[in-house]
Amino acid sequence: MGVCLIDDDQVYTFGFKKLINLRGLNSRVINFSDGNQAITWLTNPLNGHDLPDVIFLDINMPNMDGWDFMREFAEIKSQLGKKITIYMLSSSINLNDIYRAKKITDVADYIFKPINEYQLNAIFNGIKSEIGNQTFKNGTI
Amino acid sequence: MSFSDGHKFSEDSKQHLAQIIDNINAGIWEYNVTTKNIKWSVGFYTVLGYEPDEIECSNHTFFEHLLYHQDKPAFLSALNSQPSNSTKPLQIRLLTKTSGYHWFESTVKRYNDETGQIIYGVVININQYKQAQIQAAHNDLFYSEALKIAKLGSWELNALTMGLSLSKQFYDIYELQNHVKLSLDEVISFFEPPHRPVIKNAIDNALEYCQPYDLELLFRSAKNNVIWVRAKGIPIINDFGKCITVRGIIQDIDNKKRKNLALESSLNLLTDQNRRLQNFAYIVSHNLRSHAGNLQFMVKLHDETELPDDKAEILSHIKSISDSLSATIEHLNEIVQIQTEITNERTVVDFEAVFKNIISALKSNIDTLEATITYDFSKCPQIHYIPAYMESILQNLLTNALKYSSPERKPVIKCHTIKERNHIYLFFEDNGIGIDMERYGDKMFGMYKTFHQNPDAKGIGLFITRNQIEALGGTIKVDSTVNIGTKFTIRLV
Repeated sequence: MGVCLIDDDQVYTFGFKKLINLRGLNSRVINFSDGNQAITWLTNPLNGHDLPDVIFLDINMPNMDGWDFMREFAEIKSQLGKKITIYMLSSSINLNDIYRAKKITDVADYIFKPINEYQLNAIFNGIKSEIGNQTFKNGTI
Repeated sequence: MSFSDGHKFSEDSKQHLAQIIDNINAGIWEYNVTTKNIKWSVGFYTVLGYEPDEIECSNHTFFEHLLYHQDKPAFLSALNSQPSNSTKPLQIRLLTKTSGYHWFESTVKRYNDETGQIIYGVVININQYKQAQIQAAHNDLFYSEALKIAKLGSWELNALTMGLSLSKQFYDIYELQNHVKLSLDEVISFFEPPHRPVIKNAIDNALEYCQPYDLELLFRSAKNNVIWVRAKGIPIINDFGKCITVRGIIQDIDNKKRKNLALESSLNLLTDQNRRLQNFAYIVSHNLRSHAGNLQFMVKLHDETELPDDKAEILSHIKSISDSLSATIEHLNEIVQIQTEITNERTVVDFEAVFKNIISALKSNIDTLEATITYDFSKCPQIHYIPAYMESILQNLLTNALKYSSPERKPVIKCHTIKERNHIYLFFEDNGIGIDMERYGDKMFGMYKTFHQNPDAKGIGLFITRNQIEALGGTIKVDSTVNIGTKFTIRLV
């Protein structure tokens, strides 16, 4: 399963990858330190086959923050040819941020940092079963 | 029947005349200067409310009982005045039988006959008229005093002739000594230039469309005092609905308006401060939480990892978290300090001295970049400010300009100050890489907001600068164009 982390926090990125590795969640993790880099990568046709299933998106980043990324993403998602689930991640407990995130239809949920392994497992299981359903549907058609 | 034959009355008509005189609520008195003989007509008793002969007809009665003591000198002087002087009727107070003193008017005439000089006069009760006059004078005083206290001038504009009638208080507000005739344009010209079209428009609308108005405008009096006035006007219409007159007032509301404006600005300041405080609370919670979360995260991974290499790497991250944590706390400390230092004493700060110091402190940076720094503080060389803030502001701006200079050209940095009215402005300009104002304009002074890939960028400098400036009641604005440069306009006080 493909996982993408967009976060400028080097320590968190390291820990996130390590956690997935330690849990043996068997996922490929790609990471970007801001939204702009992620958009560039996602829209590059060469990466079409490696698109992630889930994106964990930080809010506060230089250049292009989480909100700006979601705006850009809404415009490019139809070209991606794959459903990508997005979780917004932040240390912010600002209620405005939470409400704002919940209002964005492309955002599956808002998660407080640091993410714990139970949440991670739940998210991964959910996505795996969804992928399974899709394959099943594809198979029957 | 004729009353007179020339100037002589016939015996019959004389009688008739006396009857008429007795009936017209007027009394006749006569005093023979030579014989001291005194005569009162029936009417004289009647106007005072007496029956004839009810009181003694004598000088003593008149001066001691009937005539009000304060009116005595006036009456005596009329009696003694030169015969050639045609004396005006006298206004005196006489005691009536039942209703106290009343105002009377008496003529004083004289003629000579064989017995000597005779002075005579006709007394009429003018009490009602006099009372009304006194009341009117009192009302006038009352209203004019009220208008003076309210600092309220009134005016009326004739729509047909465009002639203006102006009240005395109107001239008081205009601080015009002579009550010269003013045209509408002249009246409008006393308003401050930006407000002239506003009042002109309002009056035009009242004349043409019968629209009333009520405005608060800045006004400059003849003595050059700039005050806030309330200008209110209403149209008076004729039967056809056309405006024939505009009637209005102008009121000095300077005190109230200035208090209001001060209140408004302190409310804005408070709202701003509140917003900043809330923002600050979020920043604190966000930054501390993210470090604390990472720390917890790393410690947990450290416990679970078996490989020594991994353990070492995790530990190095823990160290970096510890560093970031102290840096963050240091920043927070700096911000809190702004609020505590605000009570520090302000002293006269010399722009050039401070700026030169900063330039020499950053000399190695400036030399490496071959930056040209020019400044001109001649228009406003000094300011009453907190010295530590001024140093911090100039240092942050200069550091910022150097940090974000363009690699394609040598940095040119300009700084100057001006004084305008009661404000002191500082301009700081560079030819650096600039910033996309549309995308980042509102975030530029936010904490931990960085917009470039510069590894030195911490997103704290401008946040602190803004806080220091605003803490002392100033404002900071930025204008920037990508790849051209950035210009900061700072109103210090």
